[in-house]
Amino acid sequence: MIFSFLADPEFLEGIIRILFVFVLITAAFTLSTRNIASLLTVYAVQSLLLVLIASFLYMIEGNQTLLAIAALTLVSKVLLIPLFINLIGEKIKISRDLKFNYLEPTASLLVSIGLILLAYVFLSGFFSEYILGKLFFIGAVIGLSLTLMGMLVIFSRKKVITKVIGYLTMENGVLLFGIFVADLPFIIEILIVIDLMILVLLTTILAIGLDSTREEYHQRLQTLKIWSGRED
Amino acid sequence: MLEAFIYVSFIAFISGTVLPLLCRSKNARKASFGLSLLSSILLLVFAGTVLYTGKGPTFPVFRFLPGLDFTLVADRLSAGFILLIAAVVSGVSIYSIEYVEHAKSEARKSLQASLTNLFILAMLMVVLAGNMVGFLVFWEIMSLSSLMLVLHDYSSEENKKAGLFYFIMTSLSTAFLFMGFISLFRLTDSAEFGPLDYSTNDLTLPFLCLFTGFGIKAGLVPFHKWLPYAHPAAPSSISALMSGVMLKVAIYGFLRFLLSVSAPELWWGTLILMVGSLSAVLGVIYALKESDIKRLLAYSSIENIGIIFTGIGLYLIFKLEGLQYLALLSLAGACFHAFNHALFKSLLFLCAGSVVHATGTRNIEALGGLVKSMPHTAALFLIGSVSIVGLPPTSGFVSEMMLFQAYFYSSAVPDPLLKVLLIITLSVFALTSALAATLFVKIFGITFLALPRTKCAQEAAEVPKPMLLGEAVPAAFCILSGLFSSQILNLLGFDLGIPDMLPLGLILAGACGIVWLVVRNSGPTKARISKETWGCGILAQHPTMEYSSAGFSEPLVVIFKKIYRTEISSTRTYSDTRESIFKNGTARMYLIKVFEKRLYLPVASAVSHVSSQVSRMQSGKLDTYVLYVFIAVLTLMTFTRYFA
Repeated sequence: MIFSFLADPEFLEGIIRILFVFVLITAAFTLSTRNIASLLTVYAVQSLLLVLIASFLYMIEGNQTLLAIAALTLVSKVLLIPLFINLIGEKIKISRDLKFNYLEPTASLLVSIGLILLAYVFLSGFFSEYILGKLFFIGAVIGLSLTLMGMLVIFSRKKVITKVIGYLTMENGVLLFGIFVADLPFIIEILIVIDLMILVLLTTILAIGLDSTREEYHQRLQTLKIWSGRED
Repeated sequence: MLEAFIYVSFIAFISGTVLPLLCRSKNARKASFGLSLLSSILLLVFAGTVLYTGKGPTFPVFRFLPGLDFTLVADRLSAGFILLIAAVVSGVSIYSIEYVEHAKSEARKSLQASLTNLFILAMLMVVLAGNMVGFLVFWEIMSLSSLMLVLHDYSSEENKKAGLFYFIMTSLSTAFLFMGFISLFRLTDSAEFGPLDYSTNDLTLPFLCLFTGFGIKAGLVPFHKWLPYAHPAAPSSISALMSGVMLKVAIYGFLRFLLSVSAPELWWGTLILMVGSLSAVLGVIYALKESDIKRLLAYSSIENIGIIFTGIGLYLIFKLEGLQYLALLSLAGACFHAFNHALFKSLLFLCAGSVVHATGTRNIEALGGLVKSMPHTAALFLIGSVSIVGLPPTSGFVSEMMLFQAYFYSSAVPDPLLKVLLIITLSVFALTSALAATLFVKIFGITFLALPRTKCAQEAAEVPKPMLLGEAVPAAFCILSGLFSSQILNLLGFDLGIPDMLPLGLILAGACGIVWLVVRNSGPTKARISKETWGCGILAQHPTMEYSSAGFSEPLVVIFKKIYRTEISSTRTYSDTRESIFKNGTARMYLIKVFEKRLYLPVASAVSHVSSQVSRMQSGKLDTYVLYVFIAVLTLMTFTRYFA
């Protein structure tokens, strides 16, 4: 058989590790890319990487749920959600998100290296590599750091559409973590996907109906500053 | 069987709360107060039975949320306070039937009737609560319903301030109680009130929190400032309930905690004793300077709460020094004084309400001569005054005597330092009693005797009968519980060697009767006035010649000058630039509000400062909030990794 190497677990593990690296690269792109269309592509690619990871893991483990997760992710995150967001992008005619809050791309990347280290240290306090298996441990670390980086995207980027992608990235991190450690029941995975769909739909309404940069929303939040009585 | 009394009165209070809201008519309000009167009679029977037999009924556990049970407990301690509530409520209910009708609008009348019932119910349930959850829930209902009653005349600026002050203090009290209960819960892992067999180190925090929390509510110095604001603002029937009952509910809570601790520490007792003595003497000293009748009574409440806490402090000290008899005497004295104070203070507030109702002013400088136009109110007020200053054979005498007795025997305490403390606090206590007598001579004399000073006092007329009847109930309780005090205490199983007041009462009554007969029979039958006594050139007596309230207390004000801290400020303008030819100016002499200026305001401004610093975090930007969440997550991760 030509594809006999696919049955070799060690080879598959090696592939998965390479995929982890790609996942991290996509996360770095999400943090720094200014073009919305490329951001979307990066997100779709990241989701596709997850599909691949889940599929390869299925080949090693033989767990049916992993295959179902892979299928669900493929349909929702690789195809449907990017399609929706693309629609929004076309409607509100925003093609770039140029501004950053608090952290510029370079700083973001440096912080995210710190985050990966923190995730590693944090998780090593709970499960050692030997109990979980090296691959699974690294998967958990990557999953957790992806979640944190998603959060980083949410507060460091200005446009709503980018923030949504940050949120989606966070969810990808949770998925990755779930595949390797928590063993999420499939039904929860479905529910999360439905949540994401609703989030994207809501964003559509908010972005098109209200304002794409949330300036008005900010103004409403300003009224919360009753204590200091500052005007800014 | 016995628990049915509680259920029926519970339903009656609830109906009394709902009824005036559903139907805004005079009859509905009458029915509402009728229901509270009925419940108070039921509660009197209930509490009397439990106190006598020493055994309360067992109630089923009510579960209103999983893990949050509400239990009821009626032991002798709670029965004693239920008796107190019921005795005061019976008088207040009769009084309010007529009194509430003088509120401004139909809506306010009904609301006042409804909230009064809710307030009473909440106080009853606090006393009956068997665990912390129920206690806190009803404690909050009690605080909020009384707050709304304080704010019933919310249009006046002064009342708004009083309401705000009361609200802040009562919230602070609840916050401390929460802290205290939570720390107890961490210790015992149970929300029930049960015996606390723990080392005092573990109990220090709960003790301090609960002492502060209950102390704020009871009005101990330095947390007393809400009382002189809230009482004048509230309707008089509510002042009677607040001062008579609500302050005692705080004392109940504190006693409930203290009596469950198996090994308290000596410094607890000394702290309570010192704070109690300070409250007693400062309360009466501040009262002397006042001329607002309700504010004066409010300060007098602070004094009496101080006396009660003095008794509690003595109990702890004697208990730890192994003097069981003195410990019991002090505790019984404190509890009996709480009961008596509830009665005479509600009587005095109700009478004050009648006076304010009849004359339209709270300022006693504007009153005078009311004994002629309102003889019944005057007589009832006199009974209250005699009782509060502790003249035999009234109830106030007995409870103060018990505490004095405990003090006198305290030479048995071995510790010399403690002995010195006891002698000092004893002299403070004696001073307090003497000043209280001066105070009530002043109130009664200035308000009821001599000539009316203003037109409103001249035109005053006696209040309607239901109001008088409402005042008569606590007055009767005052005299009866005084006369039969030794019998009552014996019946409850406390053989404390209290002298029998009944013969003394009979002798006094007989002496009064003889004097009256002699005067009546031996005096001239007809008044003969041939000529007016020479008045040194004064043509006629004029009210302005009378002793005024300020004049009466002036000697004492001079003696306690250091405590009053009066401040004189003046402004001057001059006609020339060298400031030598005086043009005009103003001078003002006023009392420094020491506690407000030195304690309350600095704390308030510090809180405000911290809040404004914290509010800088409130940037109003969504991204910032996400950043906070992000930082919180990272901190949490680091913390759990290294410290948890």
